[in-house]
Amino acid sequence: MRVLIVEDDATLSEQMRQSLADAGYAVDLADNGEDGHFLGDTEPYDAVILDLGLPIMDGTSILRKWRTDGRDMPVLILTARDGWTDKVEGLDAGADDYLTKPFIMEELLARLRALIRRSAGQSSPQISCGPVMLDTRNGRVSVDGHPVKLTAQEFKLLSYLMHHEGKVVSRTELTEHIYDQDFDRDSNTIEVFVNRIRKKLDVPIISTVRGLGYRLEWQEEEA
Amino acid sequence: MRARISQFFRTLTGRLLLSAFFWSAAALAVGGLSLSYAFRDYVLSDVDQKLEMLLDTMVGISEISPEGVLRFNRPLFDQRFATPYSGWYWQISEAGQQPFRSRSLWDFELTPDMSKRIFSLKYSEVEGPDGQRLRVAERDIILPEADRIFRYQVATDTAEVRAAIARFNWLLLGALALIMVTVSLALVIQVAYGLRPLRSLGRKLAGVRAGKDSRLDGAWPEDLRPLAQEINALIDQNEKLVARARTHVGNLAHALKTPLSVIMNEAENLPEKSATTISRQTREIREHIDHHLKRARIAGGGSGPGLAVKERLEKLARAISRLNQDKGLSIELECPDGLMFDGEREDFDEILGNVVDNAGKWAVSHVTISARKLEDSPRRQFLEIRVEDDGPGVPEDQREVLFERGRRLDERVPGTGLGLAIVRDIVEMYGGSAYMDAASLGGLAVVVRLPAK
Repeated sequence: MRVLIVEDDATLSEQMRQSLADAGYAVDLADNGEDGHFLGDTEPYDAVILDLGLPIMDGTSILRKWRTDGRDMPVLILTARDGWTDKVEGLDAGADDYLTKPFIMEELLARLRALIRRSAGQSSPQISCGPVMLDTRNGRVSVDGHPVKLTAQEFKLLSYLMHHEGKVVSRTELTEHIYDQDFDRDSNTIEVFVNRIRKKLDVPIISTVRGLGYRLEWQEEEA
Repeated sequence: MRARISQFFRTLTGRLLLSAFFWSAAALAVGGLSLSYAFRDYVLSDVDQKLEMLLDTMVGISEISPEGVLRFNRPLFDQRFATPYSGWYWQISEAGQQPFRSRSLWDFELTPDMSKRIFSLKYSEVEGPDGQRLRVAERDIILPEADRIFRYQVATDTAEVRAAIARFNWLLLGALALIMVTVSLALVIQVAYGLRPLRSLGRKLAGVRAGKDSRLDGAWPEDLRPLAQEINALIDQNEKLVARARTHVGNLAHALKTPLSVIMNEAENLPEKSATTISRQTREIREHIDHHLKRARIAGGGSGPGLAVKERLEKLARAISRLNQDKGLSIELECPDGLMFDGEREDFDEILGNVVDNAGKWAVSHVTISARKLEDSPRRQFLEIRVEDDGPGVPEDQREVLFERGRRLDERVPGTGLGLAIVRDIVEMYGGSAYMDAASLGGLAVVVRLPAK
């Protein structure tokens, strides 16, 4: 899952980046409204954390522009102005949730998980596909109730596929969503990760769609 | 009572009335005195003319008899001179002789001062018979036939004249008193009328303070306009000061919040004991900031252009249902068009945001918002907004507790617990009210009453 943080306070934004990275997200940072808008407009994010009080271009305007341009990723707004007027304006501009400063990271992470889950059409924090279950709250994966240990990159990849169950996901898309923009991307490593995950899970839920990418799906008859 | 009277004369109305009363009383007194004097003068000169005529007649018919005695060569045709004490008398005196008198004098005798010659007509007032007061015209005459000096005197009782003068004076006094009363009444009306713009200025100013108006607008008289302008400028300045103070508080709070986030999150990396202390302290700081910031933000006064309730509630409902997408919350809104809230948008948002957000959090799937105008408040108009949910509701005895600061009945649903306390604070600052009720949907109903425009 790749997340964009648009926040002008460097320390806070670094704290958020750290916590999100620890929780298995690929994170991009923007410290002003213009860069933030540009990134959100051009890169495929699974969620955006957007501070409303930003230099150059304020959060509400960015959000409104994204939404009119058809960018529909879930957006969590951060605001120090916790009056309802600001919240209503933000939500009306197209935000999916808000968090008022000061906040603690756990709350941010919980809100973010819920947003991503919701946008993927999942209602439970635990996503399952056949015998495989992924708990978005603690990053645990299990098959038939037995825990499976995955590396951070493997988890990110599986998590993205689990959130998009039944859809064909290309390698490029996977690369875009599990690496932040500064990462030296190599789509070949995706194949390596997928193979490792297949081996660790030991259940055939990830199939390769030739020339297009991968699809995560559980078919009863195969079991 | 005396204190109240002296206080009254210190008011503008009192001063105006007192001075106007004084001047009109003085003018009427001078007028009255002149009139009275003129009338008296006219009446007396009429009497004097009659006396002079009689005296001339007497001189004309006087002659010295061959015996050397003064007599009239024909009678003075006037019955009044023959009737004793009739009030009309004449007497002709010569030094050292018995005076020749009218019959009306009877046993009375005028006592002319013969020591001085009077060759031009002289008038005087003397004591007459029967307590009468006489006006006397007298003159010395030397008759052509004899070289003797006679003092001619004609007198008349002034009782009738004095009565006429007195009657006139009484009449005059009555008329003047009537004029005075009328003038005073007119003065009161005039002062009230003249000071009316001042009163309406005062009323308008009270309206500004009560939040019904924002400025002293309207067509003020030329001489009140500078005052109204000054007051408006003062209101502007006051508003600017309040706005600036509010902005400063907001900025301060805003500026504190980001560092506070950083501290809170950094504390996570510390040993548990320190982390707990720091997070407890930062939470306290956060609550203080929230508390004071919210109160500083409350404007609590109407007078602005007003806020269209329906549009605002629609926006709010959209926002809250967006927040509760995963449970598929539906918010039903019922609000008449054109309903206006007499106050600030921020305050409205703060009240309804908290109330509807609460309803959204607790609702299973349904929230209704119904707004209407209350008709039973003649002095100030109010509107009522009722927000209901289909959640678990709150037992009656615990409802008031929710309006207390920092109180929550269920710690599982996130929130600082300030929500409903701030709702009540703002609502009361607008002179409205907030209470809870059982909802027809099964959950809780929160009802707020706010001034309407």
